[in-house]
This record gives sequence, structure tokens and C-alpha cells, in this order.
Amino acid sequence: MSNSISQLFSQVLKQGALLIAAIALVGGAIGWFVASTAGLLSALIGSGMALVFVSMTAISVWLGGRLSLGGFFGVVMGGWIVKLLGFIIFVAVLKSATFIVGPILFGCVVASVLGSLALDAIAVMRSRIPTVSSN
Amino acid sequence: MDVNNIAALSGNIAVVGYGLAAVGPGIGVGLVVSKTIESIARQPELAAKLQVTMWLGIAFTEALALIGLATPFIFV
Repeated sequence: MSNSISQLFSQVLKQGALLIAAIALVGGAIGWFVASTAGLLSALIGSGMALVFVSMTAISVWLGGRLSLGGFFGVVMGGWIVKLLGFIIFVAVLKSATFIVGPILFGCVVASVLGSLALDAIAVMRSRIPTVSSN
Repeated sequence: MDVNNIAALSGNIAVVGYGLAAVGPGIGVGLVVSKTIESIARQPELAAKLQVTMWLGIAFTEALALIGLATPFIFV
């Protein structure tokens, strides 16, 4: 995978992590005022979940790009299934937890996912990827 | 048995929603990937560009799955 694509993915991952950290801060402050420690914890867990599951897609495409075509799609699609299963297990475990404030966690997940999507789209639009690669 | 109630279902209807939240994006990601494979087969020299575009397509599609699967926190 060419250098410009590696730069794009590292930029996307860094910017995404910064944005989600900011959402965790704001969400944590709101959660603290609404529901004290449980609200703060919910915001941090929601943002953390979004960070892990959103970053996994970019990392799988980034790492898979170094493999053959079959390996690339195996890593990307396999990563997708593992991610969804992990997300379902996370939700099932956390749903009944007493220290979770559902609406705050959900709000942080949605804000983080949508925010990082917007960042991804802007980064791809601004990127300069060579049309013809040597691979 | 009551004649008006021939068949009865028990369980949480929300589970159907979680299934739909996985099926819809699953079909979407499958379409994105299949079209990318087709495009790379036609023009292998564009692979890098197509892979990045595919990643953006997958990211948008899976956002629906993540949001749909997180709804137990607000609906139940």
C-alpha cells in the first residue's frame, strides 16, 4: 500500500481519536451533571466503544492493503464480523449493568460514530491518492 | 385453547429489530465489497483508490449497524 494511503489512514485514526476524546469530555461533563458518576462512566464507556469499533474498520483496511487481494478481503470482512459480534456481546453485557445510564451511553456512541464518519469523508475528499499504483 | 388465539409468540419484539440492524448493513457491506472486487478485477491498477473508497462505503454502512445495535440502551 502506497505511502499516501498510509498517511491518510494514520491521519484519520489520529483525528478520529481526538474527536472522540472531545466527545467523551463533553459527554462526561453532561453525564456528571445529569447522573453523577454513572453518567460520567456511561459517557466514557460509550465513547471508548465507538473509538474501538470505528477504528477497527480503518485498521483492517490499512493492514489488509499490505496483503494479497484475497487476504485483503478476508481481513476486512473477517474484521467486520468480529467487530459486530464483539459489539453485540458488549451491549448484552452492559445493558443490565447498574452503573450505566442508557441515553448518555447511546448519545456518546451516536455522536462519536457520526463525527468520525464526517472526519473520514473529509479526509478522503482531501486526500491525494495516486490513480495508478505500482503494485 | 381459545379459537381466536391459534398461535402465540413469546419474547421481546426488540430482538427482531436487532436482527434487522445486522441484516441491512450486512447486505450493504456485501454489495460494497462485491462491487469493489468486480472493479479491481476490471482495473487492477486502480486497486489502491478503490480500496480507500470501499473503506468509506463500509464505514457509512456499518454506522447504521452500530447505531441500531446500541438501541437497547434507549428503547428497553
